[in-house]
Amino acid sequence: MRLPQPEKSNLQPGLLVVLVVLSLLLTTLWYREGAGGPVHKVRLGVQAVVAPVGAVGEFVTRPIRGVFQWIGDLGVSRSQLEALRLQNEKLRNTVATLEEARLENLRLQSLVNFAQSSKLKSLGAHVIGRPTQWDRVITLDRGTADGVREGMPVVGTLGTTPAAAAEASAAGGLIGQTIDVTAHSAKVRLITDQSSGVASTIQSNRAEGIVHGSIDGGLSLDFISHETTVKAGDVVITSGMGGVFPKGLLVGEVTKVTNQPSSLYQDIVLTPSAGLGGVEDVLILVGAGPQVQTGSGE
Amino acid sequence: MNRVLPTIAAILAATLLQVGLAPYIAIGGVVPDFLLLVVVTLALVEGPTAGASAGFAAGLIFELIGSGPVGPMVLVLAVTGYMAGLLHENMFAEGWLLPLTVLAVASIASTLAYGLMLDLLGVGGPFVLTFFTKMLPEALYDTALGLLIYPWLARFLRQDRPMTTFRRLA
Repeated sequence: MRLPQPEKSNLQPGLLVVLVVLSLLLTTLWYREGAGGPVHKVRLGVQAVVAPVGAVGEFVTRPIRGVFQWIGDLGVSRSQLEALRLQNEKLRNTVATLEEARLENLRLQSLVNFAQSSKLKSLGAHVIGRPTQWDRVITLDRGTADGVREGMPVVGTLGTTPAAAAEASAAGGLIGQTIDVTAHSAKVRLITDQSSGVASTIQSNRAEGIVHGSIDGGLSLDFISHETTVKAGDVVITSGMGGVFPKGLLVGEVTKVTNQPSSLYQDIVLTPSAGLGGVEDVLILVGAGPQVQTGSGE
Repeated sequence: MNRVLPTIAAILAATLLQVGLAPYIAIGGVVPDFLLLVVVTLALVEGPTAGASAGFAAGLIFELIGSGPVGPMVLVLAVTGYMAGLLHENMFAEGWLLPLTVLAVASIASTLAYGLMLDLLGVGGPFVLTFFTKMLPEALYDTALGLLIYPWLARFLRQDRPMTTFRRLA
């Protein structure tokens, strides 16, 4: 590039130093002030203002995304694919629910299962904001005005509209947990976020571990010892430990198990039960989730 | 004053695009950074002082609309804007190569610095994996977008001076 008559730049190293110091002070303030501090409040205010912009973007780009989705689905008709997806999700959830109920009867324990989870009050919501590469957080169109609070679990739905979702109960897979909530929007940290951790159980053998996300969007089940038999296809559900997520929500399915002799635990890779990539409608379990997980920056 | 208004308008437009468009044109989970595009362009046409100031403002906006800690990107974009602005006086090559090279380097440098800052704060991910899956793709994406946006944005920001860059494109 050439500017026809180059101007003399006004170098002001002092200004840069001031800005650097200010940014460091801002970072310190962010970590020191806690959730009720001024910077946190400003962020909630900004997010309340920009949330409608995200909703507009979601609406405007929907046809374009639909075209790309259609191109990706070439070879199978769109309606057929949608029907198969829906059927598959229903069957997987049904199998998981029945298996959980059977094991509960055997152990004569009155545990919370999907049927009981479905008694939790839930609220359908649209996704109006998508994740970035730095954090896997989505934005929903529900907020404190609808009864949403921080720390509430969010699950995928069987329906395609909020109304259908509300009727579909909480049988979908776990998606994440609300973190920042404004009057009419809520941010949800997905379980695939690297700072997410979900206390979970392998349904077949009751082994307990923690499901972690990762920077590349993968899911892993950690802290499962070598003595535990884990195989591909095993279903992983929330254990209810810690009181953050209700017990019995579908988390994912084991896809790969690696036993490294040098490692204390098995490397277990999961596929999320809920389709997190293109999720458009979710259920917020407004009757659950008394605590907030510690996440990035909190 | 006549330069301030286009600057503010560009940053506001970048904010709207970042919130309303960027997440929906992500490729493989990689989201373009419109705010970085504006900061680097502004730095190249206005110099280090404007670049640093715009970087500070854009970084603050980026983090207020995001979910991570507030502060690291403010620092990173302020420094990036200043460093890119130092090249303002040295813009000698006519054409698209130099500004786009600066944009690519600035994108990689800023994402690297941001990743390091997150690591220092204990909220980062595996660095090598992040570099290849996030930082490098984002730099490529930003550079590709820069090819489309830079000439018009540069002319918009400096309407008082004719620019020969991208004459055929813009």
